[in-house]
Amino acid sequence: MNDPRPVAPLAPDNAPPASPDHAAEGKPPRSGKRDLVIISVIVLVVAVMIWSAVRFSHRGPQGTAMLPGGSLVGKSAPNFQLTTLDGKQVSLSDYRGKAVMLNFWATWCGPCRIEMPWFVDLQKKYEPQGFEIVGVAMDDSGEKAIRDFTQQIGTNYTILLGKDAVGDAYGVEGMPTTFFIGRDGKVIDQTLGLASKKELEERIQRAISSGVQSSSSAGILSQGATPMAVLAWKKAIARKALAWVGGR
Amino acid sequence: MKLQAVSFTAAVLFGATLFAQLGSRPTGQTQFVSFEGAPKTAITLDQVGHVDLQFRVTHGNHINSNRPGSELLIPTKLSLSAPGELLVGDVTYPPGKQLILPIAPDEKLSVYTGDFTVGASFMPTGKTSPGTYRIHGQLRYQACSDRACYPPQNLPVQFDVKVLRSTSSSHRNPPQSPHAHP
Repeated sequence: MNDPRPVAPLAPDNAPPASPDHAAEGKPPRSGKRDLVIISVIVLVVAVMIWSAVRFSHRGPQGTAMLPGGSLVGKSAPNFQLTTLDGKQVSLSDYRGKAVMLNFWATWCGPCRIEMPWFVDLQKKYEPQGFEIVGVAMDDSGEKAIRDFTQQIGTNYTILLGKDAVGDAYGVEGMPTTFFIGRDGKVIDQTLGLASKKELEERIQRAISSGVQSSSSAGILSQGATPMAVLAWKKAIARKALAWVGGR
Repeated sequence: MKLQAVSFTAAVLFGATLFAQLGSRPTGQTQFVSFEGAPKTAITLDQVGHVDLQFRVTHGNHINSNRPGSELLIPTKLSLSAPGELLVGDVTYPPGKQLILPIAPDEKLSVYTGDFTVGASFMPTGKTSPGTYRIHGQLRYQACSDRACYPPQNLPVQFDVKVLRSTSSSHRNPPQSPHAHP
């Protein structure tokens, strides 16, 4: 057991040297084993991350893809002004206080054609709850083609003629791309690609129930406010309204 | 020191993986089709030439065929521009594969997936002199996955055609079949 080699001087605290030679010096390779375990874990984690990057990088929940341009979730939906098929100017801010499903689509988009009839049903079902669907047509096929297409589908919601600048502001790179906007104008969810009707409906319900404090007493009630607080809130609104009328 | 090295390596690997995840996201200019080239083509001054251009659609995606079956769908089209000394003739497309997506079982699509070939014919004119001519063009296509579609894209293509002297320049031969390969 006598090692004929010269012994290296110990570190001042007599700690075992963290050199690769310590195992060869007859000391138990505890540090080496620990490093091996750490390296194995790291390799495993990295392998899983690479696999997940390849497998899921473009996929969101339920198989819908995440937007490549980054998420707008939690941020204010960029405002815009676009023209309807009737020539009216519409801004997104016109819908403040309502939940909005903003859907970017195109006539050449097969998945869009599948979901648009669902939108007709969803608009009917949720409109009474302060919900609006806004479709933005993002293709170059011309106003007539878009009008014919929407008439064929029987859309009962607002269709706007899209512009690239609006698509860019929302990071739209494929169709359908859909944003679910709460009553406060903040994006609560977004998807690229066709989602099931059930998934759409869940997101719509979240949009309807989010950001409700901005415009209605029902909103503050849903946030747990007492009836007295609602009364005080209504009085404050009335005072503001009177002041505003008086100012004119 | 060893643990530090391991930690450093881990940090680098983590950063690289994160970068790979971010980098793997498609950009606005993402192409869903690649041009895989065309065989070297040589013709003589009295021949009609034909070349098969090879394309590949990225895995998991499809593009509409040249005859997608609906006027709303954007067909795949190859346009070529040759130098003045060469005339571009017919462009021939393969038939599309029928695709029925689970999300739309009632809708039959005519698409290209994986590898496909588009043929093009060209012919010398009276002004053509022997030499190598570069032909430019673009493939216009519109790609979709099973859940999303992407705006129409143009894929640039280019290939060379070599024009040789006629073997019997004293009397011109009749043009050969457009499908003849030199």
